Amino acid sequence: MFRFILRRLLSGVVLLFLISTIAFTLLYLGGGDIARRILGQTASAETVALKSEQLGLNRPVLVQYGDWLAGAMRGDLGSSWFTGQLVTAGITSRLSVTLSLVIGAILLIAIISVALGVWAAIRGGWADKVVQAVSILGFAIPGFLIALGLVTLFALNLKWFKPTGYTAFTDSPSGWAASVTLPIVALAIGGIAGVAQQVRGSVVDALRQDYVRTLRSRGLSFNRVVFKHVLRNAGGPALAVLAVQFVGLLGGAVIVEQIFAIPGLGQVAVQATTQGDIPMVMGLVVATAAIVVIVNLLIDLLQGWLNPKVRLS
Amino acid sequence: MFRWKSLTAVVAVAALALTGCSASDTSSSGSGSDTLTLGVIVQNTTFEAANISFANESPYGQAVYDTLLKEDPTGKLLPSLATEWSYNDDNTVLTLTLRDDVKFTDGTAFNADAAAQNLTRFRDGTSPNASFLAALGTATAVGDTTVELTLTQPDPALLHYLSQNAGMQESPAAFGAADVQTNPVGSGPYILDTAKTVVGTSYEFTKNPDYWDPDSVHYDNLSIKVFADSTSMLNAIKGGQVNGAKLADNTNNAEVEAAGYTINPFELDWTGLIIFDRDGSMNPALADVRVRQALNYAIDTKAMLTAVGEGLGTPTTQIFPTTSAAYDEDLDSRYAFDPAEAKKLLAAAGYADGLTLEMPSTSLGNPAVFTLIQQQLKDVGITVNYTDTGTNFIADLLAPKYGVTWMQLQQDADWALINFELTPNASFNPTKYQDPKVDALVATIGTGTEDEADAALKELNAYIVEQAWFAPWYRVQSSYATDAKTTALMQAGNAYPYLWNITPAS
Repeated sequence: MFRFILRRLLSGVVLLFLISTIAFTLLYLGGGDIARRILGQTASAETVALKSEQLGLNRPVLVQYGDWLAGAMRGDLGSSWFTGQLVTAGITSRLSVTLSLVIGAILLIAIISVALGVWAAIRGGWADKVVQAVSILGFAIPGFLIALGLVTLFALNLKWFKPTGYTAFTDSPSGWAASVTLPIVALAIGGIAGVAQQVRGSVVDALRQDYVRTLRSRGLSFNRVVFKHVLRNAGGPALAVLAVQFVGLLGGAVIVEQIFAIPGLGQVAVQATTQGDIPMVMGLVVATAAIVVIVNLLIDLLQGWLNPKVRLS
Repeated sequence: MFRWKSLTAVVAVAALALTGCSASDTSSSGSGSDTLTLGVIVQNTTFEAANISFANESPYGQAVYDTLLKEDPTGKLLPSLATEWSYNDDNTVLTLTLRDDVKFTDGTAFNADAAAQNLTRFRDGTSPNASFLAALGTATAVGDTTVELTLTQPDPALLHYLSQNAGMQESPAAFGAADVQTNPVGSGPYILDTAKTVVGTSYEFTKNPDYWDPDSVHYDNLSIKVFADSTSMLNAIKGGQVNGAKLADNTNNAEVEAAGYTINPFELDWTGLIIFDRDGSMNPALADVRVRQALNYAIDTKAMLTAVGEGLGTPTTQIFPTTSAAYDEDLDSRYAFDPAEAKKLLAAAGYADGLTLEMPSTSLGNPAVFTLIQQQLKDVGITVNYTDTGTNFIADLLAPKYGVTWMQLQQDADWALINFELTPNASFNPTKYQDPKVDALVATIGTGTEDEADAALKELNAYIVEQAWFAPWYRVQSSYATDAKTTALMQAGNAYPYLWNITPAS
């Protein structure tokens, strides 16, 4: 197990290196005149040249990347070109916000989709059809439309929630709940649709297995068979889908955070990318890639725990 | 094995999160009477006074820094940290008398030496407006409360600049501090609460308890929230989460008003064409004033205002603002839309068979604008070839790579406008075009008496309109929304009302 984890972590480091190299190259190619963009149209040519020199933009690309890489290995990701904030500080201050949205959404997806999927698989008939129809609908409607609809109905018309902004949990737990509920629901709806389908399929498959018949013939109640054995077997594929969902939700958070003006990684990602704030974008790339590596590792471990056969492979 | 207990706990937490909504907490929304919450469309580039920006970023700087001088909403100078100011006879030495009762929030005293250091640092820094102090030779402390500015040449706009970012005063003890960009130390009305601030998103300030001018501070707390996305800004307005907000454009004005807000209109920018290549070095045709005038006649500016400006603005063919002595109402209609006249002028200039112009386009602008320019110029025989410059738009203009371009520029105060768009070294005269008549008029504006300068300004404006250096279409209306509890006085020449002019409605 230890060697497994070590191997995964090592491949994670290689992945980080590759992703950061590609990201830097792409950002650099689309860079344009960064100093002019930082200073705006009112700055004189001399000031723009001075800023360019201060940022080291007049050096060769390889030197700039080498410097960034050397800094990154020491844990120094530099400062944002557009706000002057340390990249590490900028990311850590926003990480908890995004994670609370994404983890909240994953929990919501897991609970509701498992309930819906199992219900559809066991009941069959009209329940199955309803769940499938709802799933397709949830899948088909774009996340941002759902978010806008939720804001209009629950924040602007009913005034149950705040339409924009974020309250830290430590400042006010109820304020926090009010500020994250709509974004979490907006994020989760698409995911619920996908995972419910997956759970339904897995449970239907598992119910057809021989062991179910065997267990039933030994007199075990249907509920006991489903909840103790079928779900455990159907859990593996569902977990894999949840892991994919988690990565997808990080992307979905970008749009949702913009719409709700929530100070998470997504919001800073949009700002930094459109501006060409290379240090900030590189920091975000490293942070999200690391999250993805860790999540995948955790999912693998969980699957191993659920199904010992996985450990052998 | 499914852990039912833990699953139940998870459900309970989720339920708590969901039902937390009914106990929705509005106490931290920051719109109480003791807190002023402002919506802005840009994040703060830096708080370091030497590099600080202004315009849309002005509320950040004004919250934490005092300026040497102030201006009222019409642009009239008022004392601030400097109580008196005077020039020598040839306007090359400015002497400022400073207050002696001001302390920075780190306890350091403000004095003439601090002022001198701040001025020099700003001149040598990388503020977008560093050139405001380009004429500053030396700044010297003469005693504790007198600072003397020696200029390399007279600068009629210097006092105005000292009321903006060029005059902002930072504690010398903070110069070079590691966190100077995000943790300002000034003597201003508010102190940035760095613990509650999320850089790039929301900036929280508390009142400076020792502020020397408490009457100008109308709120105990200030919150500046960035809305990069116009939908989230609109939602914040509809939800009553901001007291005042600069709107990115006018597309949602009706909804903003329906939400109980007042739209405070002001005209800051002009939009239209800039004809950089007045000497024809890139395209010989543009050296002919008749061709430049034809570009003015060829565009239906009123249609442009309706089609791309939501009808909010005023048609004009001059670049000076209505508040300027240079402004002449008649010049607003000097080139009324007349394609026949445009064709006639082109024919007279020898381009009866047509003419081709290379122009830049960018996705940063409204795509309809570029299409409409192309269509309308085609109607008079001018073929426009666009090159998409993407995010390099301004860099390419100033390179300079194009003789004519669409652009939107702010209408600064006179001397700033002249040095930004007209003089040979102006940023927006990248071909460094020089005209002896313009040089002479600018010299008079720089050194003459007030009457002489005003007369020269009028003449200069009329001349560049006649010479068609530009083909302006209209002055763009900007909109500032205030809620029922708040009043804001718009500031001449600035994109954001000055902080102390945003007050509780009486």
